[in-house]
Amino acid sequence: MTALLELEGVHAGYGQTRVLHGVSLSVGEGDIVSLLGANGAGKTTTLRAITGGVRWDGSIAFGGRSLRRLTTEDIIRLGVAHVPEGRGVLTELTVDENLRVGAYLRRDTAAVARDYDRVFDLFPILRERRRLSASTLSGGEQQMLALARALLMRPKLMLLDEPSLGLAPLVVRRIFDVIRDINQTDRVAILLVEQNARMALELSTQAYVLEVGRVAVQGPSSQLKGEESVRRSYLGY
Amino acid sequence: MQEFLQQVVSGLATGGIFASLALALVLIYNAMGLVNFAQGEMAMFATFLALVLIDHGVSYWIAFPLTLAIAFAGGVVIQRVVIRPVERAPVLTLVIVTLGLATLVNGMAGFLFGYVPRSFPSPFSAQTVNILGALASFQDLGVIAVSGVVLVLIYLLLQRTTLGLALRAASHHPEASRLLGIRVSWMLALGWGLASAVGAVSGMMAAPILLLQPNMMQTVIIYAFAAAVLGGIESPLGAVVGGLIVGVTVNLAGAYVPGVGGDLQLAVAFAIIIAVLVLKPNGLFGRAAVRRV
Repeated sequence: MTALLELEGVHAGYGQTRVLHGVSLSVGEGDIVSLLGANGAGKTTTLRAITGGVRWDGSIAFGGRSLRRLTTEDIIRLGVAHVPEGRGVLTELTVDENLRVGAYLRRDTAAVARDYDRVFDLFPILRERRRLSASTLSGGEQQMLALARALLMRPKLMLLDEPSLGLAPLVVRRIFDVIRDINQTDRVAILLVEQNARMALELSTQAYVLEVGRVAVQGPSSQLKGEESVRRSYLGY
Repeated sequence: MQEFLQQVVSGLATGGIFASLALALVLIYNAMGLVNFAQGEMAMFATFLALVLIDHGVSYWIAFPLTLAIAFAGGVVIQRVVIRPVERAPVLTLVIVTLGLATLVNGMAGFLFGYVPRSFPSPFSAQTVNILGALASFQDLGVIAVSGVVLVLIYLLLQRTTLGLALRAASHHPEASRLLGIRVSWMLALGWGLASAVGAVSGMMAAPILLLQPNMMQTVIIYAFAAAVLGGIESPLGAVVGGLIVGVTVNLAGAYVPGVGGDLQLAVAFAIIIAVLVLKPNGLFGRAAVRRV
């Protein structure tokens, strides 16, 4: 069986600066995969390469189809939701408008209505704040909005860039519970970039650790969690 | 009191013209973070095209929407051909490009249509009607009505349709919008098309009063700029309110303030810009620019 997302020998960078030096990884359908590593290891750049935000060489395929030469918009339309660093909340718009942009590409009106109910069940606070400008939300609420909007896109794969960044521990717990729920209930595969390695490993089935643009360690999350040396050298806990 | 009301109505009519062009400026400002200095010239050129149609026997109310359609297409083409290649260039480059575009369009109009002012037909009669004791001309009321309808249509498009939502998302947050599958580049082209069409409305409303010639819009765009700044430069609603305020103020100042007359009206517009920037730097409807540091 081919994986949903397959990266092979991906090189990428910004101008003269090379950031990725041959990254290979794969995400199967319905999987949660963690992408870990220190600051500057290339985690965000890997996600950006997948959705065409940075020039890359090598091969990236989604659902067996090469993503070479596709624009970001086209890649998203194939069924990839990318919640970027800083969450990508449209702060000029209201909470409701943000959600509507998430469902912008969909024509299945009845299913969209059901999905609205689903995201409001997951995040009741968003229902209360529907009419407010998204800029008035707290960091945690903005992360919830970004996740809710990604779910409304009904993707096959979600790319999540540091969903825990800057949030209080209780909020992080809530966000991770929802990510697990989205994965299990909605059958969405997830590629999760995280600094919080301990929580990411608890959530994911597979994990990759990047070190200066290369995959240094990879394997089942449970195994990485158990290996003292890996934890100490790469994950810092 | 009667004369005052008449001045207000005629100020609202002028204001409607300013408001349309100001709205065009705001639509582009939101899309590229810069006013389009060629907006007035594009409106003037579209008005010449309308005149060509009318001269060829097309009736006014067919020439009007036809001109808007041509202006829309022209705006889209200009964005794709002229603006898109320099999209990521520094602001100064864009300033020069739109200034160059203004010069180019102005010169082309002069070359094709000449510099002799031409009369432009108005669909509204110059007769007056008595409203609450004030005499208002059908001309003024017509301009107010047409501007009003166009502005309401634009508002509904932006606020009530999915396309308008995508357009707003793309202009304020291009990167994030791309990650939501919105074709940002086409949305920006659409914004240029809309701005160009709305601008054409102001040109066609102004031409019967100002007479049509290549430099017709050069003062109008300064008033429109004052209106857009007054409204907060990013706010479509602000542009409209700003346009009406500038129109009425300038008209009243011309009528009642000794010495302002017709010549110093432009100075009044500048005074408004300066007063707004001093008292309320973000305009009436603008939001404070918040930046994390």
